[in-house]
Amino acid sequence: MKNRFNFILILAIALVFTACQKDEATPVAVPAFSRTQTLTVNFSATKPFAFFGFKDSALVANTDSTTAKWDFGLRLTTFLVNSNASGPGKAGVILQDGIFANLNTAPTSGYAYDTTSTKLAIKDGSWYDYNSVSRSLVPKAGKVFFFRTADGAHYAKMQLLAVDYAPFTGPTPSQLLYKFQYTYQPNGSNSF
Amino acid sequence: MKFCIVKQMKKTHYFFSIVLALFQLQAIAQQRVFKDTLDGSSETVVVTANRSERKMGNVAVPVILIGKKTISQTGSLRIQDILQEQTGIVIVNSALGTSLNGYPNPFGQGVQMLGLDPAYTAILLDGEPLVGRNAGILKLGRLATGNIKQVEIVKGPSSSLYGSEAMAGVINILTDMPAKENIGFQLHHATNNTWGGTLSYANRIHKTGIQFFLNRLSTDGYDLDPTIYGKTVDPYRDWNGQLKITQELSNKLQLLVSLRNYDAKQDNNYQIFYQNLPAIASGYTTETDRSAFAQFKWLLSSNSKLYVRGFYDRYTNESFVNLDKTGLRFDETSFDQSVFKPEIQYEKNRPGKSQYVAGFGSNIEMIDASRYAGKQNLATVYGFTQKEWYLLSQKLTLIAGARIDKRTDFDLHLSPRLAMAYKPNAHWKFTASAGWGFKAPDFRHMYLNFYNAQIGYSLLGSATLGQELGKLQQQGLLQAGADISPYTNATGLKPETSFGMHLGAKYTSGKLVAEWGLFRNNISNLIDVYALPFTRTNSLPIYSYRNVGNVFTQGAEMDLSYQLTKQIRLSGGYQFLLAKDKQVLENIDNDLLYKRDPITLQSSLLTRQDYVGLANRSKHSLNAKVLYEEPTAGFDAYFRAVYRGAFGFMDKNGNNIIDNESELTPGYWMLNLAASKTIGSHLRVQIGAENLLDYTNPVQLSNIPGRTYFINLNLNIHQPTKHKLP
Repeated sequence: MKNRFNFILILAIALVFTACQKDEATPVAVPAFSRTQTLTVNFSATKPFAFFGFKDSALVANTDSTTAKWDFGLRLTTFLVNSNASGPGKAGVILQDGIFANLNTAPTSGYAYDTTSTKLAIKDGSWYDYNSVSRSLVPKAGKVFFFRTADGAHYAKMQLLAVDYAPFTGPTPSQLLYKFQYTYQPNGSNSF
Repeated sequence: MKFCIVKQMKKTHYFFSIVLALFQLQAIAQQRVFKDTLDGSSETVVVTANRSERKMGNVAVPVILIGKKTISQTGSLRIQDILQEQTGIVIVNSALGTSLNGYPNPFGQGVQMLGLDPAYTAILLDGEPLVGRNAGILKLGRLATGNIKQVEIVKGPSSSLYGSEAMAGVINILTDMPAKENIGFQLHHATNNTWGGTLSYANRIHKTGIQFFLNRLSTDGYDLDPTIYGKTVDPYRDWNGQLKITQELSNKLQLLVSLRNYDAKQDNNYQIFYQNLPAIASGYTTETDRSAFAQFKWLLSSNSKLYVRGFYDRYTNESFVNLDKTGLRFDETSFDQSVFKPEIQYEKNRPGKSQYVAGFGSNIEMIDASRYAGKQNLATVYGFTQKEWYLLSQKLTLIAGARIDKRTDFDLHLSPRLAMAYKPNAHWKFTASAGWGFKAPDFRHMYLNFYNAQIGYSLLGSATLGQELGKLQQQGLLQAGADISPYTNATGLKPETSFGMHLGAKYTSGKLVAEWGLFRNNISNLIDVYALPFTRTNSLPIYSYRNVGNVFTQGAEMDLSYQLTKQIRLSGGYQFLLAKDKQVLENIDNDLLYKRDPITLQSSLLTRQDYVGLANRSKHSLNAKVLYEEPTAGFDAYFRAVYRGAFGFMDKNGNNIIDNESELTPGYWMLNLAASKTIGSHLRVQIGAENLLDYTNPVQLSNIPGRTYFINLNLNIHQPTKHKLP
């Protein structure tokens, strides 16, 4: 009796969910795509940010920094999302502990924004450890970034795999290579 | 001079025979120490375990003893080489800076005992603490080995007698006391153009005893990575001198004065980047360590003694480099630390029933260093007491003791200790001990004000944090909008504390001595570095210190010694060690920790099996020794093999935890051999080789040179009877 009740409940919830999705999502049959890319980022607190847009899976030119073409930006270890103080977009981010492959549903609320230039959504140091012995930046394991993209209508999940120095001569590196993996859902759904 | 002494002798001739008898007793005690230490002979006298003389066989806490003979049989001039051949003693690099880009680790090496960092072992010279620790490590190279009479190592929390720093234990290096007339010369030559010369002189003229020691050591250093400009260890020269004088002021009062001077100079020569261009910088580092010690020993009665002593030690370190091309000063640091320590100690002995020791004193420390915020002082007053009872026809020894320490900046701290030894028969001895230890936050934790110009981060001591943050903010060097208010009135650091237990058993039967031990230490309030939630304007972090960690270390140890033949003795030891952070274990159980696969770069949950433990700790360490002695032929050979098992080096997979094979430094063997032959009655020639396997690890263990060879020539002239009086 109890089991049957549960079954009905699950069925009802599933129906509600599918119904909701049908209403909201644009019916485009493009599957979510996953990629691993490397972004070259300035090792400097003053040089330009490197901006990235999930939709085109590409670096966004600095001339487009005031558009909603990019979702997040990086400079040294400063992490921007395209919102409020950082840009005209509606991008938000949630940094969550977990295993990338197992987290297949992006939250629909609770996103953080760059409210001011000193109160960024991603706090410095929250996603990496700096090893002063090897002078390396090691991204923390088990950190998944959920994004609502700059257009406010799509979801992506991302994890950092490695941060290396680009080959350099001299006392300090000039560029960092951020290797990251992401899944972008072009159909607007929050499930990947 | 001679007349004067004769006069005194006449005055006190009645008591003289007693005093002489005392001296002879002492001399016998010393002779016995020289005679044998490794087999744990019950006649050997140790002082560190109870802060007063005890026979080794009666001591209830684990003690390792290294005698003069063993030191001379190894031929080593470095005390750390001798220490690392002992079971459970590992010489480790500072966790802070394991060799940067092929330069030597600026923080040096120290002693890891019971799995605790070097900062938690008190290093004493003749019972008094040495100052001048850099990042918690006291450079042991400061101490010459030529005048060491005996090294006593007490394992386990010993704060009940020695206060702060004695959390893991105590290493007490005892130097020669004035003895019968003896003149000694030693010439040492080794690989890397290393030269050493030693002169020693001892004499006892009537009521005055004198012991003089002078040593010079120089080396060209070595280079483990020729592709990097500069040597791994730059050339240096050290001077070490000590003068000890004892004077019988009356039959009941003895004065001991000891003066020590260490003076070292080492080249600095490396490549830096100046205005983004490579440039050579060179200069040198000078170090001095000067101490003075005076003690009155007053025999109140046949069974009670009073010591009044004062100790002063000052350590300085000045370092600079100039740019070779322009002569411009590129970097300069200075460090000046001193301690003054007056103390009174009372001892009461009821033969066969009990022994009592108590004392009080104070520690007044001063520091003035370029990396510290201004000149700082710290004062501690302390008192200690310990009683030892002998029960059940002396089969059972019970010890209870405690010490209180009050430093100006934190509350009264109590450190008790309980210990017992049970000897049911001539073969077995069982011991159990439990003690509390503590380590006060040191100058660096409180007053460090360090900005790394090359990388750009800051490290600030907790006591200066508020003030320095205010300054940084005023200068516009803090991230805009940083809220420093929680740090401006931060409460100070608390002492780190520990509780340790040790269970031991020892079996002695003719040729065999076997010893087993089990230990466990819980350490709370560990002071650790943390990053503030805001950064400097360059986006790089600001670090400070806080009490966060709770760790434990536990393990088992075993020692065996077997006299195979009259000439050959075999010995060996093994330590099994686990050292883990309790918070990490809790986080693993709560599924809060992840690891990243080094190949796929994917994250997964960390398990308890993955967690290796704290960095720098080897699970397994062992040593094996073969000693061949032919006393009639004046020949001995001593072979030692020391293995240090794999240990965590640093995190690479994103969890700040050692949990992957790639984060470990593989284990290694050090094989050392020395042989000596006495020629005639005065000369002894010794040759040897250290690190026979030529093991090197330029990045992680830059302190280990490759294989080295040495030769020692010893000339000893005794005149044992010349001044002996009736």
